[in-house]
Amino acid sequence: MKGWVTVTAVEASTTGIRAIEAEAVPTRFARGWHCLGLSGQFKDGKPHTVNAFGQKLVVFQSGDGGLNVLDAYCRHMGADLSKGRIKGDELACPFHDWRWGGDGRCKKIPYARRVPLRARTAAWTTMEQDGLLFVWNDPEGNPPQPEVAIPRIEGATRDDWTDWVWQEIVVETNCREVMDNVVDMAHFFYVHYSFPTYFKNIFEGHVATQIMNGLSRPDARPPGKGPRMLGNSSVASYHGPSFMIDDLTYHYDDMDLKSVLINAHYPIDGNSFMLHSGIIVQHSDKLPREGAEAMAHKLGEFILKGFDQDVEIWKHKTRIDNPLLCEEDGPVYQLRRWYEQFYVDVADVRPEMVERFEFELDTTRPVEAWKQEVEANLARRAAAGRQA
Amino acid sequence: MTIRADNRLLDGAPMQPLDCHQCGAEVEVRKASWHQTSVQWSSQALGACLERRAAHSGDGGGPDHGLFPGCTALRESIVRAALDGAIPVPEE
Repeated sequence: MKGWVTVTAVEASTTGIRAIEAEAVPTRFARGWHCLGLSGQFKDGKPHTVNAFGQKLVVFQSGDGGLNVLDAYCRHMGADLSKGRIKGDELACPFHDWRWGGDGRCKKIPYARRVPLRARTAAWTTMEQDGLLFVWNDPEGNPPQPEVAIPRIEGATRDDWTDWVWQEIVVETNCREVMDNVVDMAHFFYVHYSFPTYFKNIFEGHVATQIMNGLSRPDARPPGKGPRMLGNSSVASYHGPSFMIDDLTYHYDDMDLKSVLINAHYPIDGNSFMLHSGIIVQHSDKLPREGAEAMAHKLGEFILKGFDQDVEIWKHKTRIDNPLLCEEDGPVYQLRRWYEQFYVDVADVRPEMVERFEFELDTTRPVEAWKQEVEANLARRAAAGRQA
Repeated sequence: MTIRADNRLLDGAPMQPLDCHQCGAEVEVRKASWHQTSVQWSSQALGACLERRAAHSGDGGGPDHGLFPGCTALRESIVRAALDGAIPVPEE
């Protein structure tokens, strides 16, 4: 713990009662790429309102096909540009028809001879990839760095995978709650009825990973016909503060089902966020195109149910900065230490926020097996030493 | 927001330094049980890790997007340290 700024929980010394501590939610929003959802929905020739980062934004497609994100309030008289119309390459304000370009500059005022100085609004850096629209948020105003780019999702553009099944829900709490799920091993059992047998978290740089292999719980499944799900293997990484790609394989008694699950969000404000889930499923011999599409929708519903289970907890719980963890819990504090890097200036990112940390729980390897493995390795090395 | 310390590190065993038998990288390790292991790397240790360097000489592609799941030599070092008592393991 060298070099950490630490605060120990203050306990009511006379009663021994553990106090719950919580600072106010952060006043800034995380630096990083945020997914606004399927890009196709913004390409209907109309401007779209997006409430994000404590502001109102407008998304519109310009004539060149590109998607642009601007601050929604017209700098002229404050009207809402997302209620305007797209005219060619520009977004026209509904109030006085001022024309705004995707670069945030006012290009034309139809009734004026010239555009006044400083006729510029905030334009956000956007990126379209794998059928999704991303927006870059940086309170310092710097452009995105290449090393924090969102990786490509191979199946998203391939014919042997389904299209995205995409869903969005508004959650009325601070988005830190959804991040905690990365490490919260035990809640997968109690809230989501899965049974993790192997669990690992890796935090390094701007990436936080959760590897989880689990068994299906027979007590959570109605007895029935059809293929039996035995369990799943999942490698899920947050690439930055809000976009998680989960390579998720479901194991059935007669096949493996490969899918990619997206779990993403953007903050609406400090006390609410938009939670997205997206899923694509790979076709297979057992599950050709139509079957895979049906399965993707079924999984989509299943995931939404999982969100509902989380939301039911979140909407009643309190924010807690000093969770009281038992040894069987995951690395909540270390996750939050990692997460903090997105809420400070780049110059203030400290090594402990980005240095690699691993947390592993492996119930599949009995201690006896470890002992045998070590002995076998030692014997092998001793034998190799004799030969040399 | 303040970065807080894990209550388990304050009240229980701390992270302990351990050298990997393979490359000598010094990491900090803690075991909460035989099945659970925490490892804190420094950038120096990560730079020294042979398996890590081998993994990153590849293209970094693949479905896991270049994820390095962990060092097997370090894992073995930790098992040995746990078995010989250098890293304490709380009794079940």
